[in-house]
Amino acid sequence: MKRLLVALAVLASLTAATAHGERAQRGNLIVTLDGGFAPRALPRDRPAPVSVQLKAGLRTTDDTTLPRVTRVELGIPGQGLISSRGLPTCPPRQIRDTTTAKALEACRPALIGSGRMVAQVKIPNQPAFPVRARLLAFNGRVHGSRAVIVHGIAVRPPTVVVLPFLIHLRPGKFGTVLTAHLPPNLGPWPRFARFEMNFHRRYAYHGRRLSYISASCPVPKRVPFAPFSFAKATFTLADGRQISKGIARSCWGR
Amino acid sequence: MSRTITITLMLAVALSIAAATAPAAEAPTRDEYVAGLETICQPDALATQRAMKGARGDIRAERFDAAAKKFARATAIFGGDVKEISAQPRPVADGERLSKWFTYLKRQEAYLVQITAQLRHDHPTKALRLIQRFIHAGTQANNVVLAFGFHWCSFEFSRYG
Repeated sequence: MKRLLVALAVLASLTAATAHGERAQRGNLIVTLDGGFAPRALPRDRPAPVSVQLKAGLRTTDDTTLPRVTRVELGIPGQGLISSRGLPTCPPRQIRDTTTAKALEACRPALIGSGRMVAQVKIPNQPAFPVRARLLAFNGRVHGSRAVIVHGIAVRPPTVVVLPFLIHLRPGKFGTVLTAHLPPNLGPWPRFARFEMNFHRRYAYHGRRLSYISASCPVPKRVPFAPFSFAKATFTLADGRQISKGIARSCWGR
Repeated sequence: MSRTITITLMLAVALSIAAATAPAAEAPTRDEYVAGLETICQPDALATQRAMKGARGDIRAERFDAAAKKFARATAIFGGDVKEISAQPRPVADGERLSKWFTYLKRQEAYLVQITAQLRHDHPTKALRLIQRFIHAGTQANNVVLAFGFHWCSFEFSRYG
């Protein structure tokens, strides 16, 4: 019961935090980005566990077919800390061509989040149709780098995609960057439309309670809150164009 | 006599039609307008980024005077930018939408002035509340001209420290 209440509280605060998605347009293409984190009241001087929700999407203004996306980059600020110390990893090959249940069976200890995705499939001489996929996110490593391994499964048509987002740290406002290259072997037909991901994982390691994502709200004692650049999504299209959008949110110091 | 009046009237009508259509003929297309404004906004957006560098750190470290100086510089850049772009000829069909956009930009400029003043007076909480309003007005401004596809002329909070 207590867990349910906590989950409801987290969901309610995420909903409150995501009431205003933002958009940018290039040509006939609109990118949207929305998201939030919970709890919004965070310690001023040390990181505390948080849940993060990100929703991003692409659409065209004239309902024409979406362009093919070759790269997705999600940036979050350096005050958000990704810690995978002591968390098991999920090798991508272990969940390739598996159902959600099998993927969970193989990698549940590495589970760090879940979500949904919609893609548009455009087969020549046929009207485009949407494909809805359920997403699971696992902690992983790819070529020695920390990564988020996203497992997506659609029922109609039956499709499984395993997409690694590599985690990089770099200077600047969005110090933690997750990057995924959409492989050409996905084919020319599926066009990314939108996704929603929720990251939340608490776990125990050497007797300590840890969180996959933690954040602080580094504001002085006499200041109750501060707005900050929360996230930025950048999509690279097959023709080389880029479209991006950043959003700001506020945290409260406690 | 009546012939002279008729000719005079015809000339007057022709002149008034010419006067009415002249601005429309000079008005740019939306694409031309966007391209023109982006060349004005780009250096200002980059200058804002430079001027605001470290402002967040200043607020975090309670150096409100230093933050106020950065906001004052950003306010001057923003104000100059709005003044310059508002003087550019506008596409006729977008007149109403653009005047709404400029209303939001003026509101943002007013917020920047107030943020600077509050930081100078050592009222950081009021300043941060105004920053939230500044961001909100920026989002509204972006939504009004979404179809224009601005990059440098659109509001991005990440340029502000």
